Amino acid sequence: MPGWAAAATMVGMTERDVVTVRGLRKAYRSRVVVDGLDLDVPEGEIVGLVGANGAGKTTTVECIQGLRRPDAGMLRVLGFDPVTQADRLRPLLGSQLQDSALPDRLRVTEALDLFATSRAGDRGELLAQFGLAERRRSVFSSLSGGERQRLFLVLALLNRPRLVILDELTQGLDPAARRGVWAAVRQLRAAGTTVLLVTHEMDEAEALCGRIVVMRAGRVLDTGTPAELVDRHASRATVAFSMPEVPAALLDHLGRLDGVRDVQRTGTQVAVHGNRQIIAHVGAALVAHGRVPADLSAHVPDLEDALLRLLEPGPGAAEPGPAAPGPAASGPAAPGSAASGPAAPGPAAPRSATSGPATPATASHDLIGGRR
Amino acid sequence: MSTAMGRLVRTELKLMTRDPLVLTFVFAFPIVTMLIIGGAFGTDPDPAFDGVNPAHWYVASYLTVVIAATGLVMLPVHLASYRERGVLRRFAAAGFPRWSFAAAQLIVGLVTTAVACGLLLAVAAPVYGIPAMHDWWRVAVALPLGAVAFVSLGVLLGSLLPSARSAQAIGLLLFFPSFLLGAGGPPPHVMGSAVRAVAGPLPLTMLTNAVRVPWLGLGSATGSLAAVAVLAVAATALAVRRTAL
Repeated sequence: MPGWAAAATMVGMTERDVVTVRGLRKAYRSRVVVDGLDLDVPEGEIVGLVGANGAGKTTTVECIQGLRRPDAGMLRVLGFDPVTQADRLRPLLGSQLQDSALPDRLRVTEALDLFATSRAGDRGELLAQFGLAERRRSVFSSLSGGERQRLFLVLALLNRPRLVILDELTQGLDPAARRGVWAAVRQLRAAGTTVLLVTHEMDEAEALCGRIVVMRAGRVLDTGTPAELVDRHASRATVAFSMPEVPAALLDHLGRLDGVRDVQRTGTQVAVHGNRQIIAHVGAALVAHGRVPADLSAHVPDLEDALLRLLEPGPGAAEPGPAAPGPAASGPAAPGSAASGPAAPGPAAPRSATSGPATPATASHDLIGGRR
Repeated sequence: MSTAMGRLVRTELKLMTRDPLVLTFVFAFPIVTMLIIGGAFGTDPDPAFDGVNPAHWYVASYLTVVIAATGLVMLPVHLASYRERGVLRRFAAAGFPRWSFAAAQLIVGLVTTAVACGLLLAVAAPVYGIPAMHDWWRVAVALPLGAVAFVSLGVLLGSLLPSARSAQAIGLLLFFPSFLLGAGGPPPHVMGSAVRAVAGPLPLTMLTNAVRVPWLGLGSATGSLAAVAVLAVAATALAVRRTAL
């Protein structure tokens, strides 16, 4: 197993890892898009890759698929090098790419005929599972956005891949269709298929992913389960209400409650910030003072809050540190690790490295559209 | 054909028959313009046409119009559009080798050219008649060589131009002057010396000479045939280098 023998020398790689990336670097001319990235995707898991636009997520998964040639770094996918062994790797991969299409006049069944290899599963069953059985004779240009996304998923799963890469999985789908696609992804995991999911939708990441890797400026900012990320970066809860005249004793009481970090009063609005336990304490205090506001509300942070805090620019925002060696960047967060620890104060990342369109049409391109 | 390449060629041939640009520009345009201009100068031998029937002159010229329309317009637009919309990335991600897109386009371009030429002759036969082929082997060498040259040029342009719109603009800019000066326009004898000097070295002029001159028994056009052969080798080499990534 020559691919594995070479890969075994990579720091921190385990036999369970389907994808192992160490020190991946990719620049388009002078713009560094991926900068020393480490990533592990264990077999049978759904790993989410999240981050702001231009964080380098799509470039990373394109390198993993062998669609782009990295400038530096080591990659092993299912034991193969995606650059030199793409012909052996691709039959084992299924992918749903961001910003791609099929020929306008290609019918759904013709697309399946074109993409099916000897490993292909039951086409009729897949079309029925994704609600496309009635559209099998339709040409691609006549499909709605949601139907196109579902067709891409069918094509990604058609040849029973061992690793599925999904980039912006539910873009353009209505809520019901999204739930259907999520159920299909969960079925994949139940069947032992490994999934690498690139998404902007935090509810999607929270619902599907066992582990989430947060990227900014081409580096891993933090990694962990959704609950771990929320605990580390969005542990504050807020209890808010309005009260025309707040008694001084009540304000004083609220400020001294266990877990309360601060009490903000703006006009008639009061907001109490602290840990999750303050929801109970504030409620009890209001009852004790005989002042229970009709608009009392509590906000419990979720993954989106955590990511917003983690990715926010400016003082106090987390700054991607140097590439951490070994599994630290992709395993459970190591305290104090620059790549995986909690947000540390530091200047914002240079905007030039994170902004701009993913693939400008004017850039120098190769045959399939990848920039050199 | 169950290989990736085979599936791609079969699909592309099917899609070609549904493409309005191919149907109008490669199939209809050469036939319609051949019928119009072939009838405009009558059928009597004319010194401006090297003493041959003008209609036959154009019938012998218009096969190369089909080749140029395929290579300069159809293929660049098709390939650039595929790349711009991410179709090629999807094919690559699904395991189709990169060279297979270009190879498939090469085969599709050659098949399109052969079918369109056959159709053009089928329409010309009952209207103007098909002129006798005096030096058939030179014509039989020049046509496939020219088709390879222009189809390779089309693949090369399609891989270089950034978008379908730019491919269409550049393709039409290359096609129409070539068409008017090198194949479907007035014969060289009625052109002014400056225009003739511009028209002479155009690739389509070379190819048309290499086909028309031996076909109508006006000479051998060995120089033009050699130029077409050089163009075919160079364009194919460049297209292969550009697409074998």
